Amino acid sequence: MTRLQTVVRWAGPILWLTLALPPVRHALESTLTLQMLVQIPLLALVGWWLRPFLPDRAVKVLNAWNRGGISGLLLASFAAMIWMLPRTMDSALNVPWVELAKFTSVPVLLGLPLAVSWPRAGFVVRGVFLVEATATAFRLGWLYLVSPQRLCSNYLLGDQQLAGNALLAIGAAMSLLLAWKLMWGHVDVDGSHRRSHA
Amino acid sequence: MASLTMYPDDERLAGGERIAFNLYIVTAVALFVLMMLLGLTMRMTQAKWLTVQSPLFYQLLSMHGAGMVGTMALVTTAVMWFFLRKYVQLHLWAFVANYVLFMLGALCIIASIFVGRYGALWTFLYPLPVRGFGLWTSNTSALFMVGYLLIGVGSLLFYLDAAAGIIKVHGNLGRALGLQWLFGGKIDPDHPKAVVASTQVIISNSLGILAGAVVLVMSLVNIFFPTVVLNALLAKNLIYWFGHQYINATIYMGVIAVYELLPRYTGKPYPISRPFLWSWAASTLFVIVVYPHHLLMDFAQPRWLAVIGQMVSWGAGFPVFLVTVFGALTNLHRSGIRWTMPSRLLILSMFGWAAGIVPAILDGTIRNNLVMHNTQWVPGHFHFYLLLGVLAMAMALMYHVIGSRVSAPPNSSADKLGFPLYLAGGLIFTYAFLDAGRLSVPRRMAEHLDSWTFTDKVGSIGAILVVLAMLYFAIRISAGLLKQPSAGAAGVSTADAAG
Ligand code: HEM
Repeated sequence: MTRLQTVVRWAGPILWLTLALPPVRHALESTLTLQMLVQIPLLALVGWWLRPFLPDRAVKVLNAWNRGGISGLLLASFAAMIWMLPRTMDSALNVPWVELAKFTSVPVLLGLPLAVSWPRAGFVVRGVFLVEATATAFRLGWLYLVSPQRLCSNYLLGDQQLAGNALLAIGAAMSLLLAWKLMWGHVDVDGSHRRSHA
Repeated sequence: MASLTMYPDDERLAGGERIAFNLYIVTAVALFVLMMLLGLTMRMTQAKWLTVQSPLFYQLLSMHGAGMVGTMALVTTAVMWFFLRKYVQLHLWAFVANYVLFMLGALCIIASIFVGRYGALWTFLYPLPVRGFGLWTSNTSALFMVGYLLIGVGSLLFYLDAAAGIIKVHGNLGRALGLQWLFGGKIDPDHPKAVVASTQVIISNSLGILAGAVVLVMSLVNIFFPTVVLNALLAKNLIYWFGHQYINATIYMGVIAVYELLPRYTGKPYPISRPFLWSWAASTLFVIVVYPHHLLMDFAQPRWLAVIGQMVSWGAGFPVFLVTVFGALTNLHRSGIRWTMPSRLLILSMFGWAAGIVPAILDGTIRNNLVMHNTQWVPGHFHFYLLLGVLAMAMALMYHVIGSRVSAPPNSSADKLGFPLYLAGGLIFTYAFLDAGRLSVPRRMAEHLDSWTFTDKVGSIGAILVVLAMLYFAIRISAGLLKQPSAGAAGVSTADAAG
């Protein structure tokens, strides 16, 4: 293994430790937008990068339960759903075990299942997941924008509004990106299908 | 180029495909008859020939609207599937999943209307579903919306599978639409029109379904957490963005039957051309942004959106319709076409689409909309192109398929009677609506003033004729489809069939 490969292999744990460092943690939890749209996605990325640590045997067993990547993507969606709620993000700041739950469940139940399942998912499964993710960004953005009260005790209403606008922008960007890729890009429909049968 | 062989082998339906196709069609024709009976009940109530209490009228209107739009989508999906599967690989599971989810969604909708008494119409415009004034509860509306979500997921699965098949063959959706040939280059004469039309539908309807998925879930959130108040104008924009594309897509799926079948009945090739590709490219873009014409009278709507609505209304409908109707007429001219049921229905569909789109475009003009908005002019124009246009396209395929079972296009004496009955009834029914619109009779009213009932009565008579004809078609088509194909039924050439 080259040095670069070693670094890449350890990128997940390194990123996890960095995110757990108190100054980084405090900075990323200082606003709702940063926690939701930067910290949690980065924790999911940690999980994605943990994929090489899964032993082959475990992957085989998991694959038997993960036809077309559907179970894994569902698990990731449920985990994401929980960490989208203002209440859980708020509690993470006040209750240490909730914070711990975030730092473990987002990588293990969101990022890792995504990494295991995405390559197995065919075009249709990926499509449904991406459409639903885009719709969720719009819905959540709308919800944050119209919520009449402050949803978190730690964050202000203005922050909530910012998160709402950012989510709408993310939804729009995802739609444009998907549309562009499907219209003019190169989509390997067969590749994903082949892998899903591998 | 579409085949000139009347019943080519690659269209033969066997095994699971045949069962699935029959399920789609038999369900659809049965639903059409039932929904038409509800429509007739409403029209006769407006004419004061029947007495239906107003709350029940709005339940019937909700069922008729949602049921007809859904059934039209179901049947035209079958048209798209039937032809597209020849050119790209489609998986039967996706076609069947769409059917199953549609039926589950339909059950939710039927239960919410007839058990829960939902009456907030197919457009579920916020906040009506949560303001039932004791007639229906919010939970009932939630069930209605869950029904829509199930139907939407089914359509999405089908479109994604179709998109995968198309991309596998053509690389991406842009190439499938033929964008590479817009400004030059030699157009591949074998590039299927069915692929072009299907691609347009996949693009526009997926976006519509995305908007629907957002607004439906937000409406559900509002039902269960009433403190989350929605912006009614935004909700209306999204609902019409979704609703308009969903019903519009039925025309674009249905017209594939014309592209594929017409040349077989005229015996003349129907080549693909640059104007054809241009028109579909333009309509792909326009159909996405045309919906504001439904909100021309919403004073809070930004003015620029209304202006887009008007301008694009003129641009969106025209290109594909002009190119298709012109193409069809050219194909028909001096062709020596044999008038059998499929060919009659194909030509009727061109007329229904062409004639129905004119009042639609008139209404999409702000000046006219000032007086036409929410009058019966609106059901006048959409019944015109749905009943005489899209349904005729779908029935042309149904008749064609039952012809393939016996290797000859159907043309019985009863068919020869049913067709003019349907046409005359359809014209009387739709013109009565249009005339009522001219007289400013409002749409969606359970009770009509005495001075409005003349057009209601004329419309009811037309509707009775349509229902009779449709009842006959439904029985004829179901019986024809369920018949075992005769030996060697496929592969008959145009010449054989015409001879
Ligand atoms: C015999 C055939 C039919 C009859 C008698 C009929 C009757 C009616 C009547 C009376 C209305 C209410 C008009 C008003 O607003 O005052 C209506 C609305 C409607 N019809 Fe039909 N109809 C028929 C066929 C169809 C077909 C084939 C379709 C589409 C596939 C269709 C789709 C609709 C829709 C979408 C509405 C609007 C519902 C709303 O305003 O919420 N109808 N129809």
